[in-house]
Amino acid sequence: MTIRAPKDFWSGLMFLTFAAVGLMAASGYSMGRGGRMGPGYFPLMLSIVLGVLGAILLLRSLVLTGEKVEPIQLRPLLTLVASVLIFGAMIPTLGLVISLSTVTLIAAFAGRDTRPKEAVMLSIVLTLLSVGIFVYALRLPLSVWPVF
Amino acid sequence: MEVFSNIALGFGVAATFQNILYCALGALLGTVVGVLPGIGPVTTVAMLLPISFTLEPTSALIMMAGIYYGAQYGGSTTAILINIPGEASSVITSLDGHKMARMGRAGPALGIAALGSFFAGCVATFVVSFGAPPLARMALQFGPAEYFSLMLCGLIAAIVLARGSIIKAIAMVVLGLLFGLAGSDVNSGIRRFTFGFQGLADGIEFVALSMAVYGIAEVAINLERKAGDVGVVGQVGRVFPSWADIRHCIPSVLRGTSLGSVLGVLPGGGALLASFAAYTLEKKVASHPRTFGEGDIRGVAAPESANNAGAQTSFIPMLTLGIPSNPTMALMIGALMVHGITPGPRVMTDRPDLFWGVVASMWIGNLMLVVLNLPMIGLWIRLVRMPYRMMFPAIVGFCCIGTYTINSNVTDVAVMAFFVVFGYLCLKLDCEPAPLILGFVLGPMMEEYLRRALLISRGDPMVFLSSPISVGFLVASALLLLVVAMPMIRARREEALAE
Repeated sequence: MTIRAPKDFWSGLMFLTFAAVGLMAASGYSMGRGGRMGPGYFPLMLSIVLGVLGAILLLRSLVLTGEKVEPIQLRPLLTLVASVLIFGAMIPTLGLVISLSTVTLIAAFAGRDTRPKEAVMLSIVLTLLSVGIFVYALRLPLSVWPVF
Repeated sequence: MEVFSNIALGFGVAATFQNILYCALGALLGTVVGVLPGIGPVTTVAMLLPISFTLEPTSALIMMAGIYYGAQYGGSTTAILINIPGEASSVITSLDGHKMARMGRAGPALGIAALGSFFAGCVATFVVSFGAPPLARMALQFGPAEYFSLMLCGLIAAIVLARGSIIKAIAMVVLGLLFGLAGSDVNSGIRRFTFGFQGLADGIEFVALSMAVYGIAEVAINLERKAGDVGVVGQVGRVFPSWADIRHCIPSVLRGTSLGSVLGVLPGGGALLASFAAYTLEKKVASHPRTFGEGDIRGVAAPESANNAGAQTSFIPMLTLGIPSNPTMALMIGALMVHGITPGPRVMTDRPDLFWGVVASMWIGNLMLVVLNLPMIGLWIRLVRMPYRMMFPAIVGFCCIGTYTINSNVTDVAVMAFFVVFGYLCLKLDCEPAPLILGFVLGPMMEEYLRRALLISRGDPMVFLSSPISVGFLVASALLLLVVAMPMIRARREEALAE
């Protein structure tokens, strides 16, 4: 058995995974009866449709030839995800200045042609700008400095 | 005439100092992101969602609308000057526009693009004013069954017009609908798909999802590409086109405007489809079609008029039916809902100031764009040269702040991180995110209408076939699916939607 259409194969697998999770979760909710649709009814229907579509994609990818998936480059993706998670961990206690300068600095290294000096400058400028716009001009509920 | 008093009301709202300011801000910002490759109106509107929550809903919508049509102007500027379309809807413009620039006629190309867009914008404003009220009156008669069928039809139309595989597009819609259902169920109080996370009780935050997919995941994809060379900018020269040029273009502008106005209203339509269709039409009707692709000014005038007209008329289904025709509209629906306004036929009667204010602001915004843009072309050229490495950390930072400030909830940030990975995989696997976003917005509404329809009919699914309007939508959906499945049309569609 060979995978002839990798893009379709992997997307089929992705949809099947979501369908399986949906089916498992939805089977725990009430389906309702008669005219009273329960909370499980619509999700169950959707999960089944999604599963069927995923299966079609998967099976079709074994028969029809299709495009290859371009290689996944982990550096940009992981750096960006890490920067977002670190921001999430820092923002409630450490305040906007520290969190934002960290996230923009880390994110800058997701690119290949990053220049460290430039990244630091950019991070400082962005932080100052954001404090001005979001905290002082728009009065969003953000603390500027760490709160203990 | 009622329409004129309504338009007068609209101008009263839109012409206040505050709203003119937001309109200008939106139009200017839209132009900037239209010029910058790698960041589009969807990303920008997503990043501005949290800010919009601090504004009056009318001002927020005026600003977002400005971003949407402003981006069409900005996108064409770079398409013409350096052959880099800032927006997908300007891809077509670069064919003839950039050729003109190479021939030293960049000025007239830019001029006709701006004038054509302005004319189309004026016409589209009237189309919205006259077309929206009857549609809203009709929609007021809709019951739950009709609404369910309408939404189904809207989603299927969006699928038909999405790029790439139809099966993937349908799967993305279904997945979007499922994501939309997460959180506490309004009727039973049961928490669905929260997997024990307290922070997911209110569902998946729309802002987190859209910023993850359209903001950060896009950055990840863009960073994998090699940085392209910025083309040579020719002499811009005289911007105002000659009378001969203008006369030559008038029929094209008229055709582009009418086609764009119609296509914009269709679900799944909007600026992108309009520009492609208009160019194809021009080639068909022109007496010397050979000159197209070789710097024909009509090849700039028609798609530019069409994309601007389409951008504006796509507000009609959003404001009157609550059906988004593209992701930007879906984001605006999200913004209105946070303000407690459910987009639909009632907006026009309950909040006429909002509806007509936004419509009038479009005309003001278009005027501002013509006045602002042409003298500022030098600035836009410099902006295009801004390297992407200076832009993307800002996008990531703004997305983080935006997502967190919606509810001051760290879970939302974690959700965003999850959807960055998900969005990245989707983009890698050629699964268009637009249908997902539309499904996400419509998910809870569709479930509610389905529930109500079945409640009225006591569980009899024939309720969807009992009203002619509902049957009409269902038949239309079936036809659309059938048409797109036919091999001949499929090949045509791929040809038309290929970049």
